[in-house]
Amino acid sequence: MRPPNKDKSEIMQLRQDRMSSKERMEALFESRQPDRVPIGAMATVFSSKNAGYSVSTAYGDPEKSFYAMLWTAEQYGWEPIPQYFGHTVLGALDFGGRVRLPMGEYEGAMVVESYPVKTENDVSDLKMPDPKTAGRIPDVMKFSKLQAAHDLPVWFFSRSPFCVAANICGLNQFLRWMVKKPELCERLMKMAIDHIFNVLRYWVETFGAERVFVYMSSPSESNQVISPKQFEEFALPYHIEYHNRLRTLGIKRFGFHICGDHNLNLPYLAEVSPWPHPSILSFGHEVDLEVAAEFFPDDIIYGNIEPAVIQTGSPQQVYELSKIAIEKGKRAPGGFILGPGCGLPAASPPVNVFAMTKAVDDFGWYE
Amino acid sequence: MVSEERIEEILMGIRDAVVSYDEEACVQLCKVALKRGIDAYEAVIRGLAAGMDIVGELYAKKEYFVPELLLCSDALYAGLDILRPHLKMEEAEIKGRLIIGVVEGDIHDIGKNLVKTMFEAAGWEVYDLGKDVKLDRFVQEQQRINAQVVGLSALMTTSMLAMPRVIEMLRAEDPNVKIMVGGAPLTRDIAIQYGADGYAPDAVAAVQEAIKLLEAPQ
Repeated sequence: MRPPNKDKSEIMQLRQDRMSSKERMEALFESRQPDRVPIGAMATVFSSKNAGYSVSTAYGDPEKSFYAMLWTAEQYGWEPIPQYFGHTVLGALDFGGRVRLPMGEYEGAMVVESYPVKTENDVSDLKMPDPKTAGRIPDVMKFSKLQAAHDLPVWFFSRSPFCVAANICGLNQFLRWMVKKPELCERLMKMAIDHIFNVLRYWVETFGAERVFVYMSSPSESNQVISPKQFEEFALPYHIEYHNRLRTLGIKRFGFHICGDHNLNLPYLAEVSPWPHPSILSFGHEVDLEVAAEFFPDDIIYGNIEPAVIQTGSPQQVYELSKIAIEKGKRAPGGFILGPGCGLPAASPPVNVFAMTKAVDDFGWYE
Repeated sequence: MVSEERIEEILMGIRDAVVSYDEEACVQLCKVALKRGIDAYEAVIRGLAAGMDIVGELYAKKEYFVPELLLCSDALYAGLDILRPHLKMEEAEIKGRLIIGVVEGDIHDIGKNLVKTMFEAAGWEVYDLGKDVKLDRFVQEQQRINAQVVGLSALMTTSMLAMPRVIEMLRAEDPNVKIMVGGAPLTRDIAIQYGADGYAPDAVAAVQEAIKLLEAPQ
């Protein structure tokens, strides 16, 4: 491992921020230049492990998980973008399946043990979950109240209706039904979006639309799974419907983690781009940031350091990738946030995570 | 005596049924093939396996995606269920033996299942250990089966950490076994770093990679 600078005398302290995290976020959303490139990370598990807790604490204990995130964000100079206690809405669990907390050395996400829908008949028997008590909703509400008490945005984190629906019957089954029984997919997606908005209404009633920051991810819609045609036919109409409903609720802050390789879907998304502008659009390493900025010039581009490199690479590699990302991102007309291209791996070496912060300090200031 | 033309027609029908993921037609045509005295092995190779070759090409050209691969795979296995009891062992030329599984801590098995299908269609004997496979089990099964290749799959950055561990355990018992890794967070660089012999970005590339590994000088 090489030292951070060639000559030790060149090692300097990080520069002093000229904006608070809140001011930096506001500047981004008001299309003003912030003091420097903001940094964010989806780091639920990393933060808990960083604070000495187990992976099950990350998703099982809202208070410990919240404070672990606050300390970790301060340690690395991150903005709270996004800051979430796992998914607020979880298709498999909320609709009556069996899902357990992760445990052991190698698990890093909630584990589905049994899906609520196993057969075609189960789809018609499916009941809408209670939006206040189903699954993890009560625990996530506790987490959200901590965010509100600390004057932070209240994040509402769900996958897209397509992904939530696929999680009700399992992706294997859902993909087969897309071709053979599309009407079953339609029914599941309709129930998924209704459930998402029943729960979101509860959040708006509790905190007010102005405080709620909605964040969505869509891994199962990537082109590693489905074709752009299937994306257009199945997923896209529900993105449009989603934003019609968000507007009705009066929610203005939206972020979208466009997870994985969505290159072939981008033209379809760009054509309708139904979200309010600017929104935060987060990309995986599979999408070039310049391409993303061309497709979405009115939005804040976020990404896209390859998570596996952060976990297995050297700090120099992360630093170099971050430098390239910052150079591209600073040219994005709608603004830029540096961060991992997906969830920050739980076992990332601290120096590799710091390498992103150092790169922003070296290359990310707006003079 | 069934004519050459008719044999060809039936075999192409099986092939096309796999490509068009028509499970019912595939089953019917495999039954017809047996009834007309077509050798089961020939029906597998020139019908089912030939179909999966085309499916692989369509996937590589981005005309087929995972939904189509899953359905083609269903048609393939439905046909194999009909033909397999009639395969004579000496005819079934086994290209190699593969042990495959999703490592401990990971329940995502769509990719692994597609890799398994591609190997079976290519004439390999596949021992599928399933998902969330304890690391010891890979070693135990390798001791029992003595496969030429062990394939490890992971979708999560947390579970991929099990790979270097299991690779070390497998090597300690059998230094000659070829080990391949795959899954969304993996790259060739990481595969090398973990001590694997091979890496494939998708199910179609995996078979070619395994063949290359076996052909490489020891």
